[in-house]
Amino acid sequence: MADTPRPGPRPAQLLRRLRRGLFASHLDTLITVVLAVVCGSGLWSLLHWTFLQADWAVVQDNIRLYFNGNFPVSQIWRSWSWLGLLGVLCILTLMPSRLLPPAMVRLLPLFWVLILPIGLLLLAAGLGFEPVKSRFWGGLQLSLLLTLGTILMALPLGILMALARRSSLPLLRWLTTGYIELMRGMPLIAVLFFGQLMIPLFLPEGWTFSRVLRAVLSLGFFMAAYMAEDVRGGLQSIPKTQLEAARSLGLSPLLTIALVELPQALRTALPALANQCVASLQNTSLLAYLGLIELLGISRSILANPNYLGRHLEVYLWLALVYWAVCILMTSLARRVEHSLNVTGHH
Amino acid sequence: MTSSPAPEPQPNSGAQPGDVSSSGPALAVRSQGLDKIFSNGFQALSKVDLSVSKGEVVVIMGPSGSGKSTLIRTFNGLETIQAGHLEVLGHHLDADNNPKVVSKIRHHVGMVFQQFNLFPHLSILENVTLAPIWVQKRDRQKVKEDALALLDHVGIREQAHKYPSQLSGGQQQRVAIARALALSPQLMLFDEPTSALDPEKVKEVLETIRALAAEGMTMVVVTHEVGFAREVADRVVFMDEGMIVEQASPKTFFTDPKEERSQLFLSRIL
Repeated sequence: MADTPRPGPRPAQLLRRLRRGLFASHLDTLITVVLAVVCGSGLWSLLHWTFLQADWAVVQDNIRLYFNGNFPVSQIWRSWSWLGLLGVLCILTLMPSRLLPPAMVRLLPLFWVLILPIGLLLLAAGLGFEPVKSRFWGGLQLSLLLTLGTILMALPLGILMALARRSSLPLLRWLTTGYIELMRGMPLIAVLFFGQLMIPLFLPEGWTFSRVLRAVLSLGFFMAAYMAEDVRGGLQSIPKTQLEAARSLGLSPLLTIALVELPQALRTALPALANQCVASLQNTSLLAYLGLIELLGISRSILANPNYLGRHLEVYLWLALVYWAVCILMTSLARRVEHSLNVTGHH
Repeated sequence: MTSSPAPEPQPNSGAQPGDVSSSGPALAVRSQGLDKIFSNGFQALSKVDLSVSKGEVVVIMGPSGSGKSTLIRTFNGLETIQAGHLEVLGHHLDADNNPKVVSKIRHHVGMVFQQFNLFPHLSILENVTLAPIWVQKRDRQKVKEDALALLDHVGIREQAHKYPSQLSGGQQQRVAIARALALSPQLMLFDEPTSALDPEKVKEVLETIRALAAEGMTMVVVTHEVGFAREVADRVVFMDEGMIVEQASPKTFFTDPKEERSQLFLSRIL
């Protein structure tokens, strides 16, 4: 919005606006006063508790656990450097794209895909490092790894299922519809338990999947069903005339999907998909109940330490802050993607 | 309609524009006994026989629901046919609507729609280069130069990097024409190209189509623009209730229509 000059000096203007907004009538004044008292007293007791009564040692002493879990201390730089890489990638993505070389901007999506294998290499083994078993992974690092893995698995799978759901082959259509309805009909915690217990039964003799991998597979299969529905919504919003134009230009069905339908469908579905991505992060906390020491899991084990008896409030407030910060980061990343796809303001 | 043996469709006429015209028949389109029945049972076309020679400009007129759009949509396989025979640029299509034949036909037939149907997520230039790059698999740089030349031709080169929503209807329709021309078609189909335009934008689009006709392009145009039909058409085809009622030169049709239904139609629009 353009700055339009308004009459009167600024403080007077502000006062006028406040009076109009908050104290316009007796009822308005009453509502304003009641709300101010309720919020003010709530905030006062929170601040009072935070700075005078709370004992934040339970957070300060265990920062390493919250971020890196039980990662061996001698190798901890590997865990930090992955978190650091992730941070750099976030900053690069959020930066105005004109500050970056165009080639870099084009490669950003690729980097986002590569950050997962890089993380696995850094954390697990490879590159000649000492191998670290996945049961030592934990904390925020594990939560982010699970979230990234889930998204990178669920998104392509969801797109494929959305396409299969409107396929002309009835069997394919019925199977995907059945799968999506089944997954959406089950609570996630049940899917996670099923995953931990049943995936080993389907594996060939001699194969074992770590608990982390089983968790990602269950989360991915679950989220894919929801993402498929979001993509389907996007596909349905494309007018039939677009397909006729593509066909009359001689584009094959596959090219029509890749060049005309999906780019438009994903743009439309993007807000819903971003929502699912944020939900994926929150969903990882359920794995605390399946023995994974991700952010919530490690906090529970810290609380089990007799030294920090009764420090629940501090820990959970801290957790809320961390989850909230990551969510804010994810939503701003999503907004950035939305913005970069919509520079022309069409739709 | 004579039933002279038509030459076999050429086996490898996929990518090179011009390969059919060099050795193909003198007719661009020939339909015989064409029937179109929609899935709800409505018969949109019944026993339509129509031939279009190479280089000819045919204008199809008729009241709404008369099947004119449906007819030209069968010419590039956007509508399947339920009976009859269709020959487009030497490719033969029957009621089996063989997708391979349809795909070959589409490589040589350009189509322009009433609602432009540009791809909103692609820039003007990308709209024009999409099919040459992905369907004809031509060199990107060359395609881009050709596309810019085409956009120049229809007078919107300056807008090449804008998006469809930033253009007026008339400009969008001219982009749609350039997009269809980018595949070097031998036949152009226009489905009410000016019906969705503001009155003051109709002229610029008709000028573009007129210029194309002057270059010798074979065209079938569904339109209500009498002035355009009078000046540009070699032949006017009048349709009603899925049938061809009358075919004549524009001069004869507009001044001395034979059929009662044509007379009624003309008395309403003139």
